[in-house]
Amino acid sequence: MTENLGAEDRTPELVPLNAVFATDFVQILVPVTTADTMREVAAAVAHHVEGKRVRALPYDKVVIYHGERLPADMTVAAAGIRPLDHIAVEYDVPEES
Amino acid sequence: MALLKREEWQGFVRDVDWSYRYVDDEAVFPEWHSGTGKVPRAAWQAWEESYKVSYPEYVATQREKEAAAYAVKAALQRSSAFESLNEGWKSATKMHFGGIALSEYAAVLAELKMARFGLNGGWRNMAVFGQLDELRHATITTFFGHEFIAKDPQYDWTQKAFQTNDWVAISLRNLFDAMMSSANVVDLALQLPLTFETGFTNLQFVGLAADALASGDVNFANMISSIQTDEARHSQQGGPTLEILVEHDPARAQWVVDKTFWASARAFAALTGPSMDYYTPLEHRKQSYREFMEEWIIDQFVHTIEGYGLKKPWYWDEFMRGLDTWHHGLHMGLWYWRPTLWWRPMAAVSKDERAWLAQKYPTWEQVYGDKWDVIIDNVNAGNMEATLPETLPWLCSTCQLPACIPTQSRNGTWRVRDWQLSYDGRIYHFCTNACRQIFWKDRDSVNHETLVDRFLAGQIQPMDVGGILGYMGLTPDVMGDDPDYPAWTKDYAGRPAEGLATAARP
Repeated sequence: MTENLGAEDRTPELVPLNAVFATDFVQILVPVTTADTMREVAAAVAHHVEGKRVRALPYDKVVIYHGERLPADMTVAAAGIRPLDHIAVEYDVPEES
Repeated sequence: MALLKREEWQGFVRDVDWSYRYVDDEAVFPEWHSGTGKVPRAAWQAWEESYKVSYPEYVATQREKEAAAYAVKAALQRSSAFESLNEGWKSATKMHFGGIALSEYAAVLAELKMARFGLNGGWRNMAVFGQLDELRHATITTFFGHEFIAKDPQYDWTQKAFQTNDWVAISLRNLFDAMMSSANVVDLALQLPLTFETGFTNLQFVGLAADALASGDVNFANMISSIQTDEARHSQQGGPTLEILVEHDPARAQWVVDKTFWASARAFAALTGPSMDYYTPLEHRKQSYREFMEEWIIDQFVHTIEGYGLKKPWYWDEFMRGLDTWHHGLHMGLWYWRPTLWWRPMAAVSKDERAWLAQKYPTWEQVYGDKWDVIIDNVNAGNMEATLPETLPWLCSTCQLPACIPTQSRNGTWRVRDWQLSYDGRIYHFCTNACRQIFWKDRDSVNHETLVDRFLAGQIQPMDVGGILGYMGLTPDVMGDDPDYPAWTKDYAGRPAEGLATAARP
């Protein structure tokens, strides 16, 4: 039954990701859910690194998946991010800075 | 009756082959163990080691070595030498004991396999001495480590580490199972004696012996030097095997040597790199890890394989670039995930130590300095929580070490890249392009699950840091911590620090 539901209507499912945050030195395991937005995904990754190994910067963060910057409000399900996929999270630093 | 001269009897005692009447050759030397492959069976008759030894000579020499090593140990046992050792150096020894003691025992089994399935009588004879060597190495390493248990329970991991599911131990088992346990004897002779022992053990056993002496650890230097004297003899099983394989199947020879050199280099970057460039006190460091690698491994390895008609491995540029990054990232990973270790990793990034690192590795400050600065500022702010892990590092599906290798972009920035592969319905991640390539070519034989795989499969319960530490066998009395925070943070105390994680409210 549930396979007929749209991604946004299903119970959130766990999506463990391979993630790297900005200039951090290592890839880490970060669990998110299909319902999480990219804003929440970026925060979940940053939680393990920002201010701990990478100095926090006053900029928004953006999730990069398969080389594409994903909109902050897009969910994991809508982005088609699957368990064990790799994402990078970067600061969205303005060009002139 | 006059005794025969050595040269008159040596030939027929070292090469005992005979014709079978009741079974065929394949029954005695099955392909899956003996692995002759494209090499005609008769070609192995040419196998000959360059330095020959008889059993009485072997026993007499080994007896002297053992007596000397244990005499030094007995003398030092009565001194206070151990108490005066630096904690960083002690960590190098704990790492060595836990990582090596039972690896030596795995090597006993590998030598026994060559002693049984080697394709020439002389080879099998040499492997018998080899297994006696490895048995000595396993026992001497275990015994020397055991002595310190009463002084420090982390030394109990001399015997324990290899049998736990600690991620370092899993990585080493993965390496040695591929190198020794699952390989046929032809591949094994190229992997263990030729690539690993001729090359890499020099790094740990000669290079580290120099650091041990400088650090005042005569006992440890004595032990590993005694072990190293055996390597030159039994490691010569590799040369004659390679010579024959190159003649009949050079592509196989190249592949086996290439992948083993890579796997060994990854392991030694984790094992020897931090010991040399961080744990050994600055004033006692003889050379940097990179310098040791260049002097002891790279020149010799390239000279050796080119001498046999092989080429430099396909990944050579990637490997050489890694000399400036691999072990620095692994050191940071070992330190950050320090509760998962059976030693006390010294961060060793005081101003003087960083000046040394920057001199030896010109990109060190750019690539690693910023991360250590944030860690230092957190320690100085009393925000220790921010310096401890809440998740796992991603472990490479080939080397099983943290995927922590940055490369430089055209715009000058450094980023950790992901090398991934979709295979058999799932996604695998690798630390490097070469680890990915090795996995792909050996995909049917690489079967160890990484700690991350195990965690995601629900094998580790509860699924939190406590559950992970329990799964790895770490207890509070053993769990690693930095032995001396002020030693490397006090230089920076009082400096302004922004962008730190917010300390949890009490």
